[in-house]
Amino acid sequence: MSLNVSVNWQRDAFCLQLAQSFPSKGVTALYGPSGCGKTSLLRIVAGLERGAMSNVSFNGVDWQNESLCVPLEKRRIGLVFQEASLLPHLDVRANLEYGWRRTKPAQRRLAPEEIYRMLALESLLQHRTDQLSGGQRQRVALGRALMTSPDLLLLDEPLAALDAVAKRQILPYLARVVRDTETPTLLVTHSTDEVLRLADHIGFMENGSVAPVVRLAEALQDPSSPLFADEGAVSVLQGQFVIEGNGGWGMFSTTSYHLHVRSSPEYMSLHSGSTAFQNHRLQIYARDVSIALTDPTQISIQNHLAAKISGLTEKDDGLVLVRLTLADGQLLMAELTSASVSRLGLILGMPVWALVKSAALLQ
Amino acid sequence: MCQLRTLIGILLAQVFCFSFASAGDATVAAASSLRPTLDRLVEAFEQSHPGDHVILVYGSSGRLTTQILHGAPFDVFMAANTEFPEQIAESQPETSVPRLYAAGQLVMWSASRDAREIGWQGLLKPEVRRIAIAQPDVAPYGQRAREALIHYGIWDQVQDKLVYGESVSQTARMALSGAADVALLAASLANQEAMQQQPYMRVDATSHLPLNQSMVVTARGQSNPVAAAFSQFVMSSQAQSILSSAGFLSARQVGQQTPAELAE
Amino acid sequence: MSDFFAFTPADWQAIWLTLKLCFITTLLLMLLATPLAWWLARGGSWFHTVVQSLVALPLVLPPTVLGFYLLILLGPQGWIGQTLESMGLNHLAFSFNGIVVASLIYSLPFAVQPLQDAFGRLGHRPLEVAASLGASPMDRLLTVVFPLCRGGLVTAATLSFAHTMGEFGVILMLGGSIPGETRVLSVMIYDYAEALDFQNAHRLSLLMLVFSFLILVAVYGRQRRFSLFAQRNVNS
Repeated sequence: MSLNVSVNWQRDAFCLQLAQSFPSKGVTALYGPSGCGKTSLLRIVAGLERGAMSNVSFNGVDWQNESLCVPLEKRRIGLVFQEASLLPHLDVRANLEYGWRRTKPAQRRLAPEEIYRMLALESLLQHRTDQLSGGQRQRVALGRALMTSPDLLLLDEPLAALDAVAKRQILPYLARVVRDTETPTLLVTHSTDEVLRLADHIGFMENGSVAPVVRLAEALQDPSSPLFADEGAVSVLQGQFVIEGNGGWGMFSTTSYHLHVRSSPEYMSLHSGSTAFQNHRLQIYARDVSIALTDPTQISIQNHLAAKISGLTEKDDGLVLVRLTLADGQLLMAELTSASVSRLGLILGMPVWALVKSAALLQ
Repeated sequence: MCQLRTLIGILLAQVFCFSFASAGDATVAAASSLRPTLDRLVEAFEQSHPGDHVILVYGSSGRLTTQILHGAPFDVFMAANTEFPEQIAESQPETSVPRLYAAGQLVMWSASRDAREIGWQGLLKPEVRRIAIAQPDVAPYGQRAREALIHYGIWDQVQDKLVYGESVSQTARMALSGAADVALLAASLANQEAMQQQPYMRVDATSHLPLNQSMVVTARGQSNPVAAAFSQFVMSSQAQSILSSAGFLSARQVGQQTPAELAE
Repeated sequence: MSDFFAFTPADWQAIWLTLKLCFITTLLLMLLATPLAWWLARGGSWFHTVVQSLVALPLVLPPTVLGFYLLILLGPQGWIGQTLESMGLNHLAFSFNGIVVASLIYSLPFAVQPLQDAFGRLGHRPLEVAASLGASPMDRLLTVVFPLCRGGLVTAATLSFAHTMGEFGVILMLGGSIPGETRVLSVMIYDYAEALDFQNAHRLSLLMLVFSFLILVAVYGRQRRFSLFAQRNVNS
């Protein structure tokens, strides 16, 4: 069961050509620079670009081919645009209920109260749309899309128009939504941060074509990944998080190891009341990871992880990216100078200790 | 939404329930120079023919002719010349033979002073800025006015001053409002109450072609007894005296002119 | 005062006829102009340009010329008139139906242009949003397009109404000033003026003016409130 898309479309100077199957569970990110065609692809999946020569089918049902084009209102799709695009003549409640009313009772999987709670919309219901901030409007747009209990959620750079503060505030909501509603999602973005926080799979797009979709963990193994372009190499670990005490500190643990990490204030307020959480992501930048041959005891860094070297890649700038496999099989990247690598005599397969100076809890 | 539908229904029903003139009526199209003389004539007719009713539609002879040629529901047409009725008779064979019912007279009139003191040469003076005549192509009085101006040798010089009314009664309005300092129009109009403030100057009938006016019962009006009765009435002595006291020459008076004069 | 309103039965007939003409024309025009304006707003082909120019043509043709050509076309000698007669119907010259048709033609640009502007300003996005929420095309029209284009709709209806009320040349030529049928207020006033009966002409003119003015005030006043509201929403 999945989303199958094939496109062969020429418009002006731009050509979009691809044939790809997208996984039907979790979040798939379409990642690429502006102009690569990712928004066009999303619009084709939504049925908003009639002129494109394309075939789209979802869960075995043909949505579009040479002779057929199922209109958007008949595809059970939730759509969130970059600008919230709330209907200005309706208040927030009416905007939210617009889709709800047009969904058959038998198809209503998600309850409105649930969605309001998930996105903290109760206090906004009576407002007019022009009274909301950018972040609030995107939350309403997200809620509105969910009210139809869609089979597929399409998000077109939903955070791109928000400032940094608003983005930080809304990301946890977005994460919660995709996790709790279990709606397959296609997320168009050019933000590494969003990918790391939300994506399970990723398809890199460039100049109108898309690379085969891979799992996020796989994509993060590639030293020359476009995801590393801004901030350098990064790794994402999946595990459980338990809050300890009141200071915001807690323990991130997998089956084989644990780390002491701090969570963000937004995160704490969002999850107030609970103490233990499953399925969390921990983001560790390679530049924050050091390697020791033995487990050091008198050192300020708190988090030591046993690992085995599974890859060594020399980069242009005299740095080496070391790929480490942890005890539970997850991967961690470390960035060392090549001098350090030769001094320590690091080779493939060597058991070492990874020292994690700083980690950020995502979601 | 239901109310809207009902409203639409009512409106549409109205559209299709129109009423033309009912039996006992005739519609008479008349040149506007016949106003208000024809009103009095119709009054007299309806008094002597109780139950018969005449609906009057005034306009420029030219426009009325065009409309008749395109199916206008007029039973009788009283024009301000003879050419237009002849044109209709030629084009629609069932039309009655055009019959001369009167002849008009051209006069000069001004709202500000006695037109007799202006005279033809006075039209050239700078105080006379605007001269109104009816549009020669559609109004016979306009044609005659042009002929008169040519006859008196001043047509070319007054070109810049001329303004044209769509009908001779619009011409009268132009003069009455003062927008035109002087106008050449029908005597029947100049005799009206509103125009009594100044006397008019009669234009010599030899300076232009006769203003013989004829009428026809249209093809459509052939089956209408009221139309026939009315056209008969117009030729009666009662009607003819109304016409002549209004400033027209009656048919008899026209008939008394010599053939030579008529042929001009 | 009551003396002023002493209209003759003929006057009342003309008043009633005029109101009938204006309401029917406006109603039919809104039905006709809305899909046309929508189509024009959404397309950019050369064909759209041609149609748009045709629609605007009545604005530049002199009314009596337009009336004359309609007389030929719709009358017993014209293509449309003859087609109607062959179907057993009457031709359209000199009839109320005929001046309704004429009114539709010369008031068409007054209805289409404000609508086209409003639809154009709407853009695609609200409709894409509504479609993604499950609204069918008709649903989108009623629940999104009309509320958001309310200003354009009201302007179109008002201008059509007002323009039809004031039209004279076309109606005189095509209608022939038949009492109870095509002798509308504007023709009536003209007739009074022709007869140098200025008192009656003034009386009817004033009535027409006051009535039109009151309607415009009512419509634009209401619209002002709505447009401020919509303005705030769109800008933020």
